[in-house]
Amino acid sequence: MAINDIVNLSRGQFAMTAIFHIIWPILTISLSAFLLLVETLWIRTNDVMYYRHARFWAKLLVLNFAVGVVSGIPMEFQFGTNWEGFSRYTGEFVGNILGFEGTMAFMLEAGFIGVMLYGWGRVPRGVHWFATAMVAFGSSLSAFWIMVANSWMQSPAGVAVVDGRLVVTDYLAAIFNPDMIWGVTHMWVGALETGAFVIAGISAFYLYRRRYADFFLRSFKLALIALLVIAPLQIWLGDSSGFEVFRTQPAKGAAIEGDWHTNAPGSGAPWALLAWPDQAQQKNDWALELPTMLSVLGTHSLTGKITGLADIPRADQPPMVPLLFYAFRVMAGIGFWFMVLAFWSAWIWRKTRGRLTDMLRQRKLLLAWTLSIPLPYIAVESGWIVREVGRQPWVVYGLLRTRDAATLLPAGTIATSMVMFAFFYAILIATFGFFAYKWLKKGPDLGALPPAFAAPTRPGVARLETQS
Amino acid sequence: MSALSHATLTSAWFGLIGLMLVLYVVTDGFDLGVGILSLMTREERDRSLMIQSIGHVWDANETWLVVLGGALFGAFPAAYALLLSTLYIPVMAMIAGLILRGAAIEFRHPAHYKRAWDIAFGVGSAIAALAQGVILGRVITGLAPGLASGVFVALTALGVASGYALLGATYLVKKTSGPLEHAARRYALGAAATTVTAAILLTAGTRIISPISHLRWSDPTVFQALLMLGVVSALAFAGVVWAVLTRRTHAPFRAAVLLFISSFAGLALSLFPDLVPGRLSLSQAASSHATLVFMMVGIGLMMPIMMGYNFYQYFVFRGKIQLEAH
Repeated sequence: MAINDIVNLSRGQFAMTAIFHIIWPILTISLSAFLLLVETLWIRTNDVMYYRHARFWAKLLVLNFAVGVVSGIPMEFQFGTNWEGFSRYTGEFVGNILGFEGTMAFMLEAGFIGVMLYGWGRVPRGVHWFATAMVAFGSSLSAFWIMVANSWMQSPAGVAVVDGRLVVTDYLAAIFNPDMIWGVTHMWVGALETGAFVIAGISAFYLYRRRYADFFLRSFKLALIALLVIAPLQIWLGDSSGFEVFRTQPAKGAAIEGDWHTNAPGSGAPWALLAWPDQAQQKNDWALELPTMLSVLGTHSLTGKITGLADIPRADQPPMVPLLFYAFRVMAGIGFWFMVLAFWSAWIWRKTRGRLTDMLRQRKLLLAWTLSIPLPYIAVESGWIVREVGRQPWVVYGLLRTRDAATLLPAGTIATSMVMFAFFYAILIATFGFFAYKWLKKGPDLGALPPAFAAPTRPGVARLETQS
Repeated sequence: MSALSHATLTSAWFGLIGLMLVLYVVTDGFDLGVGILSLMTREERDRSLMIQSIGHVWDANETWLVVLGGALFGAFPAAYALLLSTLYIPVMAMIAGLILRGAAIEFRHPAHYKRAWDIAFGVGSAIAALAQGVILGRVITGLAPGLASGVFVALTALGVASGYALLGATYLVKKTSGPLEHAARRYALGAAATTVTAAILLTAGTRIISPISHLRWSDPTVFQALLMLGVVSALAFAGVVWAVLTRRTHAPFRAAVLLFISSFAGLALSLFPDLVPGRLSLSQAASSHATLVFMMVGIGLMMPIMMGYNFYQYFVFRGKIQLEAH
């Protein structure tokens, strides 16, 4: 079997495991932040409704967290199993950062989630709040370190090659590499946006069904307020990341935009709103273009130079240009839709002053929110495809090619583990769906009262939430 | 930077990774062991208690493995790359087992029909334990192929699984009461017997086929130290049996942990200064000085903090458990 096929199998496996894994932590990050918010509001206002929100949404977190943990384990070891060359070459930095992620962030999450989920009544309120805060902080910190490692792979800095492997010469430069601030913030805000849409969408679903309407109007409002900031912020961060891509990874930028020819000095590069990029011919089969717009997007100037893909050696061009082109448009389109939906809803909220009876009449609006629940996931996955496929043929941009990074395993072995993962993921997602549906059908417990803190040695004091 | 300080630093990292390994093996060891024992438990009620006894801590326990993976990747990239790529199949089997049991623990709780999840929990735990045993055996034999190595590796797999069962059984003695506690005491005696048998056979096997034998055991100082650790292990084994039979609550688990710690100290002593005996030394595998220092500051300082809040989580859920209302 040719080396290329082995590399592509390992790429396929990594893509599959990463695409599956990212679904869960993005909701853990945002949902734990939301739980921290409602728990804080509960302690501040003593309004038991907030406590019930904390208990209700925590059940979704339990389901989500479990899949996140088990699907994260392959991520920690796949660098070594399938990307031996990468591990040897970059271990000093990437391994170091993954070690930081494990010790500073991931363990923090795991060390407090037990207390957060099952510690009600076993610890005082303040301690429970602290546990929730540590879970929320740990999951965000985890995203930070992972994005440090990933952004360094996009725009490596602070390293030198010694004896065929990378040695860190400047930690600050490596950690604060050019892409880092945009990679970290765009991902983290994307995670928050995901959770806000899930919370708002599920709340809208109950409002649409007119079940527990009082209860869910409150979570809808909290999520909506957050989104009025998050949705425009994310568009700005996306624009800034794009600007950075044209600076540090011109081939990726050109591929995303289906731009084949470098613009002449003094003229602006046209932007293709829609097109069909044809890599074999090194041109677009057809395109719907806006003049000068690409220079504005990519360089924030009317005549900024955008290097066309045809002017980059074929061996350094990313593959699958149409995928990059459309994945990017899907992501950006969803981002704009989110802002429209948030502002439209805020306008209606203002008009009706958020009265329950008026909001319940907004059937189309509520339905739009409910149907938007899958969209943040699609946007995040599309963004990752742009980020990772667009970095090809490099695994560490400009330093290490993907084909030099892979372990030369027998193809059958990789194919077998891929089938195994696919099988597990199908079961996991089906099971998650089944229990999430049961959770949704059951709804919140509007009679739940905070348990009094009691000595934990008395048996049977704090029971787990029963699910009959 | 002097060569000596780099060697010291490399050894310190070896020690730290060893500590992470012990923390992983002891903590996830007992919850994997509970999983293995659940396969022998017929009553669904008892299996519910068993899973409930580890429900709040299994995730943090397993996280030590992730911590270990990240630290090894950063401090000894060549070892991480060599071990994981060479041991692809057992590593993937371990991951499969961990996915299976992790999902089962969480999804069993809301499930109406628990039988299938119970099987997934038990089988997944057993697969993960056996796969870890295979990995350990392959390391000790210096990744050598052949029939003798194969037999040795099979024996380490069984040894690790029964060691985990011992930890799991003594943990259940501590956490449960009534008939389940009674059964756990029985399991503990059985697992202690198989674990010690495996340990003796493995020691003999190491003497015969492992490169460790001529690399390290021929050194009289090392040999004496190992002899002392052997005495500690024997005492710990006797302690387990004594504590189980005299119906003590906490002592059986503590003695089992001591047995694990002395065994792993012996292993670390036998490997040093290699990571994979005869194949890869610590100094060949280590990252540069600056990275080891940077990581030591970041990770070394976190170790006591991590151990502290993990201990707190155990403290919150201390005491014997009772079945939750369903």
